[in-house]
Amino acid sequence: MAINTKYYTKTALSGMANNGLMTISSVLTISCCLFLFSVFLLFTLNVNYLGDQIKSQCEIQAFIDINLSDEEAQSIYNQIKTAKNVNTATLETKKQAFDNYSKQLGGNSVALEGLEGEDFLRNSVKIKLVDLSLAQKTANEIAKIPGVAEVKNRQEVVDNVINATGFIKNASFISMLILMFVSLFIISNTIKLSVASRSEEIHVMKFVGATNWFIRWPFVIEGIFIGIIGSLISILITSIGYAYLYKSVIGVFDLLKLYSPSDIFLPVSLLVALFGCFMGASASTLSTSRHLKV
Amino acid sequence: MIEFDNASLIYQTGTKALDNVSFKIEKGEFVYLTGKSGAGKSSLMKLLMREENLTSGRIYVDSVEISSLTRNEIPYLRRSLGMVYQDFKLLRKLTVFENVAFAMQIVGASQKAIRHRVPIVLDQVGLSNKARSAIDNLSGGEQQRVSIARALVNKPTVILADEPTGNLDLLVAMEIMDTLESINRSGTTVLMATHAAEIVNSRPKRLLTIDDGQLVRDVEGGVYHLGD
Repeated sequence: MAINTKYYTKTALSGMANNGLMTISSVLTISCCLFLFSVFLLFTLNVNYLGDQIKSQCEIQAFIDINLSDEEAQSIYNQIKTAKNVNTATLETKKQAFDNYSKQLGGNSVALEGLEGEDFLRNSVKIKLVDLSLAQKTANEIAKIPGVAEVKNRQEVVDNVINATGFIKNASFISMLILMFVSLFIISNTIKLSVASRSEEIHVMKFVGATNWFIRWPFVIEGIFIGIIGSLISILITSIGYAYLYKSVIGVFDLLKLYSPSDIFLPVSLLVALFGCFMGASASTLSTSRHLKV
Repeated sequence: MIEFDNASLIYQTGTKALDNVSFKIEKGEFVYLTGKSGAGKSSLMKLLMREENLTSGRIYVDSVEISSLTRNEIPYLRRSLGMVYQDFKLLRKLTVFENVAFAMQIVGASQKAIRHRVPIVLDQVGLSNKARSAIDNLSGGEQQRVSIARALVNKPTVILADEPTGNLDLLVAMEIMDTLESINRSGTTVLMATHAAEIVNSRPKRLLTIDDGQLVRDVEGGVYHLGD
């Protein structure tokens, strides 16, 4: 097997050298496909990441009857905390609400002067959910708790985020599938040419008793090499481009952030390299099955 | 060793290449297969190599019914049959040694075994001094010897030679015959397709004649006339 591995690798490399221009154009085309694949992958991952950040900032707010005391509000808060689908709950007392409102008004807070201690703001509970898609159902259940006067649910925002991330994920998945077929087609054509250029050798191999896989392996390895070189080029371009993009957008959004290059580089590179290898091996196997007639 | 039992081959175009052909070749025999161009000689060779599938009948090689072999088993049949072609089918980018070694490499032989065996076979065909030569620097006769060495290197039980002297002048053809006879004397069965009357008649052996896909003659030491 050791001898064969050496032979397969040597033959694969000479196959690539003999069809030099075709190999180069295949490698470049695969690089482009894998680059687009990386872009879609990074885009999808970051959209998911941003979606999670937006969702984590989405909350529903339950307002407690204005006539109830702080102690009664505390008891309602305890019930809400243990309700289904509630991740975290924070009680905002009337006083805290007044202070927050003053802060929000900033320079205009003068309008609130003299209203301290007046009972015009309500105790409320700010709730973060486990599953945002169940926000409406949870809001309805909380609204049934005696003493809860009103529940404000930002369902529309949540639904939009869920719909947008779902759409982007599906669009990226379809684009990746299309790229996969394009890559398969390109590598398969290169291997077909390689098979044609070695037809005499293949014929000799057949009549001296080479097994089908002995004939196929060099072509499969050639496909894998094309996939690996293509993926290395695309990884290089993607990592430089992503680092630049990350630097450019950092600080633009205070609340939302992208994955840092150091967190995402290794898993994405591995995935792209594996995808390149897989594409190369699959395309060569398909191509040799169709054109070798071994 | 080799047995054809009512073997027929009809191509998809409807052409009948072989029609109920039956014969047996015993181990160690040297047999000529003669007939006009298109008579069915090459089709018979292709059937033995399982390049074509029988339409009906049976073919046995070493008691194995070869049409029952699976695709994965066919390479192992071919390893027991050394094939020699009229156009040599050598790889021009390889040297003499490499062409012969290639056949061993394909069957998974170790480098040590290759280094030991190839010089022996090259010596057997009289090419010891040409091991490092490029194929294009050899004469036709020498190229055919390389082809014979390659067929021999994996120690096949049968050599199938399809018009091995077809591209050579008579003197060189006789030298190739000397080589094939020497191989046959060492116990290897030889089936040689030819329409070279000078060779068949000067070195009489068992003669099978195919005409229009049918076996029309099977004689020991028969004489062959052009047009037979």
